[in-house]
Amino acid sequence: MEESPLHPFELHDWIPISLGGLDISINKAVVMMWVVVSLVTVLMVMAGSARKLVPGKLQSLAEMMVDFIRSMIMDTMGKEGMRFFPLIATLFLFILFCNLIGMIPGSYTVTSQIIVTAVFSFLVYGLSLVMGFMLHGVKYLGVLVPPGTPGWLVPLMIPIEIMSQVARPISLAVRLFANMTAGHVLLGVLFGMAISGGLLIGWLPFAFTIAINGLEVGIAFIQAYIFTMLTCVYLGDAFHLHGDDGHAH
Amino acid sequence: MPQFESHFFSSLIFWEVVSFAILFFVLYKFAFPGILGMLEEREKKIKDSLDQAEHHRSEAERKLKEYEAKLNMAAKEADGILAAAKERAQRLMEENEQRMTTEAERIKGDATREIDHERRKAIQDIRAQTTELALMVAEKVVQRSLNEADHRKFADEALEALSKSYQR
Repeated sequence: MEESPLHPFELHDWIPISLGGLDISINKAVVMMWVVVSLVTVLMVMAGSARKLVPGKLQSLAEMMVDFIRSMIMDTMGKEGMRFFPLIATLFLFILFCNLIGMIPGSYTVTSQIIVTAVFSFLVYGLSLVMGFMLHGVKYLGVLVPPGTPGWLVPLMIPIEIMSQVARPISLAVRLFANMTAGHVLLGVLFGMAISGGLLIGWLPFAFTIAINGLEVGIAFIQAYIFTMLTCVYLGDAFHLHGDDGHAH
Repeated sequence: MPQFESHFFSSLIFWEVVSFAILFFVLYKFAFPGILGMLEEREKKIKDSLDQAEHHRSEAERKLKEYEAKLNMAAKEADGILAAAKERAQRLMEENEQRMTTEAERIKGDATREIDHERRKAIQDIRAQTTELALMVAEKVVQRSLNEADHRKFADEALEALSKSYQR
């Protein structure tokens, strides 16, 4: 019987653990999270302690990523957004490495679990709500009425804007999850075809597998970037209600 | 889809939060300050270097202008000196020439005068000798002596005629 393309997403409890009735069993995805945490920690802490004016390869790589996130924050939120730098950078690195590690055959793509991406997206969206109400008080509800809305449109705009606000965390979570899942499903299907096709025709889907693999690495980067970028945008929205001080996001 | 099996949700959420929290803490504490500090340090260093380079450049430009001005001044001065020297040389030359001309004129005048004098003297000498010669000849011819005055008178007449024919 042929293997289901969804098979790589299946999880199995490896070490069952229960914490006060809460099931926190260790499975493949959890182990991959640990691998990601270790990798990022090693890379970044080593780069952070190297502190060479002319950086080596590792330091360059880490600095490039940090600088990338920093300029992203500067562009969307301005200087005061740097308060969120540690959070946003950690988020980016975590997601990026989860995406990339998933590309290794036999490993597991943590970000292809909807619950994982949902936790991140609700964390980000919740933080933007908290920031918004903390900075602007009740006036933050004004986010539901875009500037320049004529009075008679307000009853219509508010439900629409509520929907768009609700769509934010959901779309954020689903986008990452769906992209990661779809890529791996596609790879699985193509590889299944290559195996079952045999030598005569199987080389064609196999060639596609290789090409799509390259594409998937790109998608891993792009999706991490998009997730982080939108995080910046949402947090920036909470900062600058209606883009009132020149940062129109 | 296996991703919607809610059985794994609790453990995934738990470990995700824990992992993320640990990573956040570690990076926040040990990685980001160093890397951000390094980036800023490098930016500052580059900016400083650029500023310094700019400063050096403007300094060099200023110096160049200064030297150019000095060089110009020196060239002008040299031109002045050269012109003065030329003028002086010209004047000296003209003076010399004039002096030479005067001197030459003087020498020529002297020589002319001397030649004239010598010529006159020579003519007189010739005249006297010729007179004597004529007298001697006349004495021999006439065989009689005339007094001195007669001699002179004849001779002068003969000479007058001679010189007239000579001059013609």
